[in-house]
Amino acid sequence: MGVAVSIFIQLLVNGLLLGGAYAIISIGLTLIFGVVRVVNFAHGEFLMIGMYAVWLLAQHAGLHPYASALLVAVLLFVLGALMQRLVIQPLLTADAHIQIFATVGVSTALLNLALMLFGADIRKAEVTLGTEPLTLGSLTFVSGQVITFVVAIAVATGMHLFLKHTYTGRAFRALAQNRVSAALMGVNVNKSYVLAFGIGAGLVGLAAGLLAVQYPAFPTVGQYFVLTAFVIVVLGGMGSLPGAVIGSIFIGLIDSLAGYYVGPALKEVVYFLVFLAILIVRPTGLFGLGRGSE
Amino acid sequence: MIKHFKQLATAMACLTVMAVTPSQAQDVKVGALYPFSGGLALLGDESFRGVEMAVEERNTSGGINGKKITLLKADAVDANQAVGEARRLTSVENVSAIFGSYASGVSSAATQVTELAGVPYFELGAVADTITGRGFKYLFRSNATAKSFADRSIESIVKVIAPNLKIDPKALKIAIIYEDGPYGTLVGGFQKEEAKRLGLNVVETQAYSAKSVDLSSLVLRLKGSGADVVLQTSYQNDTLLFFRQSASAGFKPKAVIGAGGGYSLQETAQALGTSIEGIFNVDFPQVTMKEDGAPGLKNFVAAYQKRYGVQPRSGHSLVNYVGAKAFLDVMVEAKSTDKDKIRSAVLSYKKPVGSSAAGWGFQFGENGQNQLASSNLMQWQGGKLLTVFPESVATAKPIAAK
Repeated sequence: MGVAVSIFIQLLVNGLLLGGAYAIISIGLTLIFGVVRVVNFAHGEFLMIGMYAVWLLAQHAGLHPYASALLVAVLLFVLGALMQRLVIQPLLTADAHIQIFATVGVSTALLNLALMLFGADIRKAEVTLGTEPLTLGSLTFVSGQVITFVVAIAVATGMHLFLKHTYTGRAFRALAQNRVSAALMGVNVNKSYVLAFGIGAGLVGLAAGLLAVQYPAFPTVGQYFVLTAFVIVVLGGMGSLPGAVIGSIFIGLIDSLAGYYVGPALKEVVYFLVFLAILIVRPTGLFGLGRGSE
Repeated sequence: MIKHFKQLATAMACLTVMAVTPSQAQDVKVGALYPFSGGLALLGDESFRGVEMAVEERNTSGGINGKKITLLKADAVDANQAVGEARRLTSVENVSAIFGSYASGVSSAATQVTELAGVPYFELGAVADTITGRGFKYLFRSNATAKSFADRSIESIVKVIAPNLKIDPKALKIAIIYEDGPYGTLVGGFQKEEAKRLGLNVVETQAYSAKSVDLSSLVLRLKGSGADVVLQTSYQNDTLLFFRQSASAGFKPKAVIGAGGGYSLQETAQALGTSIEGIFNVDFPQVTMKEDGAPGLKNFVAAYQKRYGVQPRSGHSLVNYVGAKAFLDVMVEAKSTDKDKIRSAVLSYKKPVGSSAAGWGFQFGENGQNQLASSNLMQWQGGKLLTVFPESVATAKPIAAK
């Protein structure tokens, strides 16, 4: 009995920590989803760019990924703001599917650019901080996972407070509810969108710094994470930060438990079934804004 | 003046065309269909170099019965492009044969076109067994297949790992894990069959998505099953993930054997650091193996270096070179580009094992598959992937588990 229980607890810990990794990616995605109302298919490629940037900084400047995380976040902020200004903004009044195609186009272009520049091989910075295995009784985990989890929670809380208590945050929320009314109330729509997209992308830069300790950079690395992140964002409710965090932990736990008790080949089947079931019961997701929103 | 010059130039051009055309008509045109762009480009190009060297070598020694061989490159990154390019080669360029293709998906698609067109297709590198399992008459393959990878990995448990550990092979607990794409499923499936045939004790067989970002549950299962030997068929990232999460979960199997893919690449070794040490891997013959069982290997490496100015980037050039050389021999012996004459020449072409620079022999079955091609067992020792089995090509002794 002891073994079965300790394995179960280990699985819960693994799932929780995996949820942390998903959360740090999903927070930025849900912000862009929620405020700008654009399904950003290039989100994964932003992560990829971030991870290459972290690797390059480690390789050439000797920076630990954690040290370069903020730097890369700024870089990605600029990239995200540019994408909003140059790609999305001209298409703001176009059909939603045109915007989606535009982001898919950016995604494909970036992916192939990385393939051209770096090749398909994996690149990983060699570090010790963040990769040490820790033990707690019979439980084992890696320090980097714990750090990622803690930062994810802190960032989500910070973003939540920012949205609730600052003018810009309130403007973001107003835009999320109704773009036209927000504009009538004096919100500068274009400026807020550029800012929101930039912040969303910047958070992915932060994620890149945290994840680079455990995962290598390669052209398709973003796609490995981002499909799950989409599921999480829809599951939690588009634009909801608590939804993104709770959705991440939820998916992390299902991934871990189903991977063990059902089998690794079927874990995705399990969480997509759960995903479908939740959407049938709550079409706007766990913390969705409801049918009233735009 | 300028007008005169133009006339002169036109006349010269006509003369050149007239001079060139008759000799071109006598050339033997062959296609080289590989992924030259996209994600597979590096190893596709490396494979092509083998064909290029074999053709150039043949041309300097008189070509095919006095006719010069011209090689036409065709870029096929996926099945669609493979079909298009195979059509172009067979119906526009009218090639006598096509060499290819590195990737199994490319090969499967291209050969459907060439078979219908009645143009012989010489496969030199794609490993999916299904390619030669479709009853095609004019498709021939020189290289070892996924089944050979699987069989060699199981044989290695019995003949190398168990004796090294001084354990009865049947007492070893074996876990087979593989990525759930065509590559992993094929190799993993054959490993399962072969292990069962030999009565070995397989405790876990698990497929997982290569796009997985977490394999900790799989590692816990393997740990719980007490697996001694893990066979993994994987790409780079999942190899890395498996090693990292095994280390953090404290799972230390006595031996891990990969099946090419991520296990063969220097970048994986770099990313893994010291934890790659002692890890086994089954793959195509490498250029670093011993010459005894692979006559002509040193000459190949020297010629490659002279031709391209670098060391071979992987064993792909070698196996493509060896295969292309054999099929060019076949074309000489067929004394014709007629598809049926080539088929009978292929079927009667026989060379013993250990006669080529890859260590392979040649003897083709009715399905067109070379039965004397194999893969080797290697081990990462001191940051290098050294061949450890079979002994005729081994450059190092296998080191028992840590």
